[in-house]
Amino acid sequence: MKRAAPLVIGAALLLLLPLVAIEPRAWLTLTVAGLAMGMLIFLVASGLTLIFGLMDVLNFAHGALFSWGAYAGFTVAMLVNGHWGWAASPSVVANAGLFLLAVAAAVVVAFGLGIALERVIVRPVYGQHLFQILITLGATIVLEELIRIAWGPNDQVMPVPLTFQGSWDVADVVVLRFPVIAIGLGALVYGGMLWLLNRTRVGLIVRAGVENNEMVQVMGHDIHRYFTGVFAVGSALAGVGGLMWGMFSQSIRPSMGGEQLIFAFIVVIIGGLGSVTGSLVGALLVGLSYNYVAYLVPKAAIGVTMGIMVLVLLVRPTGLYGVGK
Amino acid sequence: MADVLELEAVHTDIGQHHILQGVSLRVRADAVTVLLGRNGAGKTTTMRTIMGVLRPSRGSVRFEGRPIHTLTPHAIARLGIGYVPEGQGIFATLTVEENLRVAMLAESAESRERLRRVLALFPDLERFRQARAGTLSGGQKQMLAIGRALVNPVRLLLIDEPSKGLAPIVVEHLIDALQAMKRQATVVLVEQNFAMASRLGDDCYVMDDGRTVHAGPMAALAADSALKRKYLGI
Amino acid sequence: MSAPAPTPVQAARSAARRERWRAPSLYVRLALLAAWVLLPAVVPSYQMLDLALKIALFATLAASYDVVIGYTGIVSFGHAMFFGFGAYAVALAVGRLGASTYGHLLLGFAAGIVISGVLAVVVGAFSLRVKAIFFAMITLAFAEFALILAVQWGALTGGEDGLSPKLPGVFAAGAPGAFGLSGRLVTYYTLLAICLGLFLLMSRFVHSPLGRTLQAIRDNELRAEALGYRTFVFQLIASSFASVVATVLGGCYTMWVRYVNPESALGIPIMLDVLLMVIIGGIGTLYGGVVGAAFLLGARTLLPNLRGLGASVFAGSEILQRLSERWLLYFGILFVLVVFFFPRGVLGTLREMAARRSTAPPEG
Repeated sequence: MKRAAPLVIGAALLLLLPLVAIEPRAWLTLTVAGLAMGMLIFLVASGLTLIFGLMDVLNFAHGALFSWGAYAGFTVAMLVNGHWGWAASPSVVANAGLFLLAVAAAVVVAFGLGIALERVIVRPVYGQHLFQILITLGATIVLEELIRIAWGPNDQVMPVPLTFQGSWDVADVVVLRFPVIAIGLGALVYGGMLWLLNRTRVGLIVRAGVENNEMVQVMGHDIHRYFTGVFAVGSALAGVGGLMWGMFSQSIRPSMGGEQLIFAFIVVIIGGLGSVTGSLVGALLVGLSYNYVAYLVPKAAIGVTMGIMVLVLLVRPTGLYGVGK
Repeated sequence: MADVLELEAVHTDIGQHHILQGVSLRVRADAVTVLLGRNGAGKTTTMRTIMGVLRPSRGSVRFEGRPIHTLTPHAIARLGIGYVPEGQGIFATLTVEENLRVAMLAESAESRERLRRVLALFPDLERFRQARAGTLSGGQKQMLAIGRALVNPVRLLLIDEPSKGLAPIVVEHLIDALQAMKRQATVVLVEQNFAMASRLGDDCYVMDDGRTVHAGPMAALAADSALKRKYLGI
Repeated sequence: MSAPAPTPVQAARSAARRERWRAPSLYVRLALLAAWVLLPAVVPSYQMLDLALKIALFATLAASYDVVIGYTGIVSFGHAMFFGFGAYAVALAVGRLGASTYGHLLLGFAAGIVISGVLAVVVGAFSLRVKAIFFAMITLAFAEFALILAVQWGALTGGEDGLSPKLPGVFAAGAPGAFGLSGRLVTYYTLLAICLGLFLLMSRFVHSPLGRTLQAIRDNELRAEALGYRTFVFQLIASSFASVVATVLGGCYTMWVRYVNPESALGIPIMLDVLLMVIIGGIGTLYGGVVGAAFLLGARTLLPNLRGLGASVFAGSEILQRLSERWLLYFGILFVLVVFFFPRGVLGTLREMAARRSTAPPEG
């Protein structure tokens, strides 16, 4: 509870300060957009931070899983929309159906790829950081190229369900719909992860493993099964993040994973290795600051993000919520 | 009585360093065997090799007659070997109760019963049950570490330097606790604190430079000041 | 009066020195050097010249990266960024911000070196204190940032279109006279000399007491610290040194290619290339960079020919055609395979075999 006070103050500052320079209606739109962007980054970063925290693995292939999730969802969405028109239909049920099917596809494909990657690529080089980095890099290149081969190298337009597009008019303020959905999904995922980590036995062991995975093994648990599980779940999350990002920006391209991965890395650095809450806080921080700054001084946006990362590292080298080892 | 644990000519390398250069020892059932030696002699490496964290390049480790040196640490733990490493290895961000629960191999009525008994054995732990383990004192952390090892029915307990960094009065409590346990399990104890070692130990081995250089009853070593000076510098 | 008997370390060092003259690898290197020097005379094709110099440049760059990951043991993704700084510094000094003179050329190099040196120390000071994985991520973040900055700061860097500086005096016009060298050839030999100089410098560095301490740190950091070495300082010096070397090479790159843009000088592709070169050649071998660079750049020059072949053979199926076109796919597969099966790289494996056969101290 001690940590809640600075967090609340920080959040208040972050949200209220921009009102000085931005007028309220734009501020609301930006805040929603920022929170949504933050949630999408959170989806990717949460898996990444657990994988780092538990397995000490720098997973460059995470970006490729992001892309594959997007493309898998895209394919299903195109099929479903092509046959039944569920995206173009004004029915919320049909839209939701298509959305859920696309999400399911992203989850299944990314999860499966995650398991394969962990077993074949990551496990053999476990413990050797340099080779892990190299091999996940190599895997990323291969995966990205496979997308280019299977779907072509150009951008594709992602079908977005009709009722998810557009905006609501709330007290004369334009609130875009999709970002709100993204925020909702992100909050659900966060809640689910917290529940899993804190209220289940599997979560307990993962938390212990993040702190000291050797000790967990010595206590009789097959840590490798947990590694594979965490890797797969993290991959699935990245996949969903990719799909959502695709719908958010209404287009997908093979390199999308690599482009967003850098944000996820920065968020993991800010939030601290191994902390899901840390990656949420970091992601929202990055999402909000990026959007506010981009509105005021477009070119400084990424600079501000880097600046936050540097600041956090100076004050707290292990990240805001880092589990120091 | 059959040996609970037997190491035969074990060699272990860490990276390019040849740490253990032929360690042989036998651990009797229901006795406390102490591993003595200076810093860097290879005592902790021996414990880690037994536990499967390190794999020996040569030699064998047998538990109740069966070779375990090719098994993974978690398989070895499930055979009934408990490990209390140097530095305790407790999970600071988890509560005392969570630490104990991680130690359980499975959540069942029996294991919860054992948990209660461990908490009864260490009243401090009962009192701080929901506290974060990182906030405990040194002595309490050590109790927790030992308690964790007892949550499962273990037949062999490996304890590495439990008294390290603890105040003398805490060490007294520790000795009492260990003496109470002594009757229930076979213990291999690594200790630099000779007074503690001699009070608890039945058999002893002295290690130097990765080898066992002396073996025999603890009482004999305690009585022989020439030997003590030679191997332990005391 | 006779000199005092040499200490064991001195004896070992002079023995190693004598061994070096007898070692076959020395002659291989001299032969390679001769090949580079004589190439223009033997093969007048411009393409070969270009390839040869690029191999030299990238081999030296790979070697400098090897100093960071192979000898110091730090994984960093910022190396290409320093290369880029050097490239841009020279391009700006000779092109956009200055005039095409020798003075400006040197100024460009100097500016690049200073900026990189300072940045390397700053980034290092602050990120070397964290875990290795973290450090890798942070350098990656900085490198990406540098790339984005280069693209967005169009006024200075020419944005995505880049800069096309013109070289001063002798490098552009040539040196008629005794040898009748064209501008290209003057540039060629100058850059070759710089590469050689840098390579020798790095070799001295790695074999110096400082270098050996670094290797000790790389092998067992805790022990080195226990022995009293301030590992942080050593790592900082080594990585800063390597970064400065990379900067100089970046400037050389600009001089040869006479075109700089973010993608070709600062981007991730260069970083990946260098990484692969070091892996193929062998981490911790320094000279492995030569093997890696020769292999990678050579393959890339030949590949377009294969691509045309693929297009004609697989004219029917689009997917098959794409498969043969996307050489990056094979690059990635190669990457993975090399890491799995040849983690020591070509030179590393050779050295291991040699060391196993003889008892002489390893050369390098």
